[in-house]
Amino acid sequence: MLAALAWRNLWRRKIRTWLSVASMAFATALLVFMLSFQLGSYATMKANALRLFEGFARIEPAGYTDDPDVRRMIADPEAAAAAARKVPGVSAAAPRAAAYVILANGERSYGAALDGVDPAREPRVSTLSATIRQGRYLKEGDDDAIVLGDALARDLGLKLGDRVTVLGSAADQTVAADSLRLVGVFHTGLGDVDRQVAEMPLARFQDTFAMYGAANVVVLGGESLGEVTRALPAVRAALGDKSLKVQDWGALMPGLKQAITLDFSTSMFWYASLVVVVAFIILNTLIMSALERTREFGMLLALGMRAEKIAGMMWLEMLFLAVMGAGAGIAVGGAATLWFEGHGIAIAGLEGLMAQWGLPGRIYPTLSAVSALSGPLAIVASVALGGLIPYGRVRALKPVAAMRAA
Amino acid sequence: MPSEAPIVSCRGLKKRYRTGAVETVALNGVDLDIAPGDFATLAGPSGSGKTTLLNLIGGLDTPSEGEVVVDGVRLGELGKNALTDLRLRKIGFVFQAYNLIPVLSAVENVEFILQLQGVAPAERRARATAALKEVGLEGMEDRRPGFLSGGQQQRVAVARALVSRPSIVLADEPTANLDSKTAGELIDLMARLNAEAGASFLISTHDARVIARSRRHIELTDGRVTSDSAAAREPA
Ligand SMILES: Nc1ncnc2c1ncn2[C@@H]1O[C@H](COP(=O)(O)OP(=O)(O)O)[C@@H](O)[C@H]1O
Ligand SMILES: [Mg+2]
Repeated sequence: MLAALAWRNLWRRKIRTWLSVASMAFATALLVFMLSFQLGSYATMKANALRLFEGFARIEPAGYTDDPDVRRMIADPEAAAAAARKVPGVSAAAPRAAAYVILANGERSYGAALDGVDPAREPRVSTLSATIRQGRYLKEGDDDAIVLGDALARDLGLKLGDRVTVLGSAADQTVAADSLRLVGVFHTGLGDVDRQVAEMPLARFQDTFAMYGAANVVVLGGESLGEVTRALPAVRAALGDKSLKVQDWGALMPGLKQAITLDFSTSMFWYASLVVVVAFIILNTLIMSALERTREFGMLLALGMRAEKIAGMMWLEMLFLAVMGAGAGIAVGGAATLWFEGHGIAIAGLEGLMAQWGLPGRIYPTLSAVSALSGPLAIVASVALGGLIPYGRVRALKPVAAMRAA
Repeated sequence: MPSEAPIVSCRGLKKRYRTGAVETVALNGVDLDIAPGDFATLAGPSGSGKTTLLNLIGGLDTPSEGEVVVDGVRLGELGKNALTDLRLRKIGFVFQAYNLIPVLSAVENVEFILQLQGVAPAERRARATAALKEVGLEGMEDRRPGFLSGGQQQRVAVARALVSRPSIVLADEPTANLDSKTAGELIDLMARLNAEAGASFLISTHDARVIARSRRHIELTDGRVTSDSAAAREPA
């Protein structure tokens, strides 16, 4: 009957109750949507940025992240790739070799990051091959082929079919020199990549740079970033060569990770403010209703209802209010999120963070347990906590004073 | 009757209120016994201390001096919760107004007490329905207080006060808001229930017709008992 009583008390002031529920629902819906949007855009950002080139994770020699020297090598990349592929969640493993080189065409020369990639496996860990604008991507059987970013090709004044000279430092400290033919030009939209990256077949790279079948890294791919990230401990355990390191996306793109962390902590501040405001609205409703009913509480005390019980009834009223508001908010916010999850939200002229990390024009919010529940739970929890104030007040009521209250 | 232990016993009761620098002496040394089955009225001018006395007997407030014993229990020795529980089990209250819980129906208002006492639902409903029938409200069980007249509301309050079978019913000017016909009916009802149920009644009132129906009459003036018809019959 306490619950029934609390429920009926709630509807003594219908408009006020509806207003409280509505404001809570609104704030909750906003939280659900914003959080879904934010987490969704992070996921898109991460996936797009990583998929393009870095990959979701990679195996590398110790110290390679800090000093990516061509001489830091994985002696048997095929063994590492095979071990990683066996771990559930990892569906692709592609060895790569990488060196900073000078590319030259006649008088013109530019520095570039040249990667030796396996044309068969590379497209499964990197979407760079899909950004080819002219010509084609590397294919199996290619030997002296190279693909360049469009800005780099333009800077060097190269056309498809032209030869380009590669000059670098080989793994055995000797000079690495080669002459390759431009077969394709890509455009990723990321300035640095288009201006600095070049790819050639891994086998030829290994010859040119005296690597004898070794590689610098093994890039891992899979269905989703989360899946691959979760598989990493198992990959680590599966590797025969214990000197190798397995790096997750945060280590590969520390800048992106920092940007996301910063962006998220800024918005946490706003979310927290919203939660506090809503908690105050509900609390205010409750305190008003407690004041109005002081005389009635006095009567209940006189009849023999313990003060804790009366306070508990009030607390229950507030909890009902909070749960209704949060429930409605989850429903509305969740529905809106699901709709946009299907349709995407066009982001016009968005500079900075998103453009920098290669986001497409649309963002897809993702509804997850975290985005749907953490906001509402925070609201319900802070309301329940704030409710201890009126709880304490009611508990301290004395029957005569309460009955004499106006 | 004189040999029976009193249901309520007040000794040397004093109650002072302090409002800022002003001290009001609401009760100034009250000695009073209420015997089992008494049907007593408490009269006196406004401000003479009637409400204060009922509140002290009912354990709603604590005396500045003196002692109240209800059914053998010294109220001064009880903590807050024990006092609340004593009110629940031993005392029935009828106030002048704001007696009922507005969101509960008549029968739920009566049941409420039994629920606080932990009575099982089926028994609760049966006893509450019977109590409403006793006060002549059969058929109105499901009405909320807002849909009952003032007299009917007070009857619900009487039913509720008696449903828990208390030792004493304390009624503070229960007829003050009723017209004289309805007031007379309410008093008749209480007198009948007193005779049938055996619970003692202490009713504060201004109403001469109410006083006329009582079997014992107590006068309070300036916080002292100035006349008691029982004392006249049985000198202490
Ligand atoms: N809570 C209180 N605070 C201050 N004065 C009070 C309080 N309750 C009663 N009084 C005073 O005590 C006196 C007796 O009051 P009360 O018992 O209500 O008398 P009655 O019920 O006979 O009208 C009055 O002077 C009243 O103003
Ligand atoms: Mg009074």
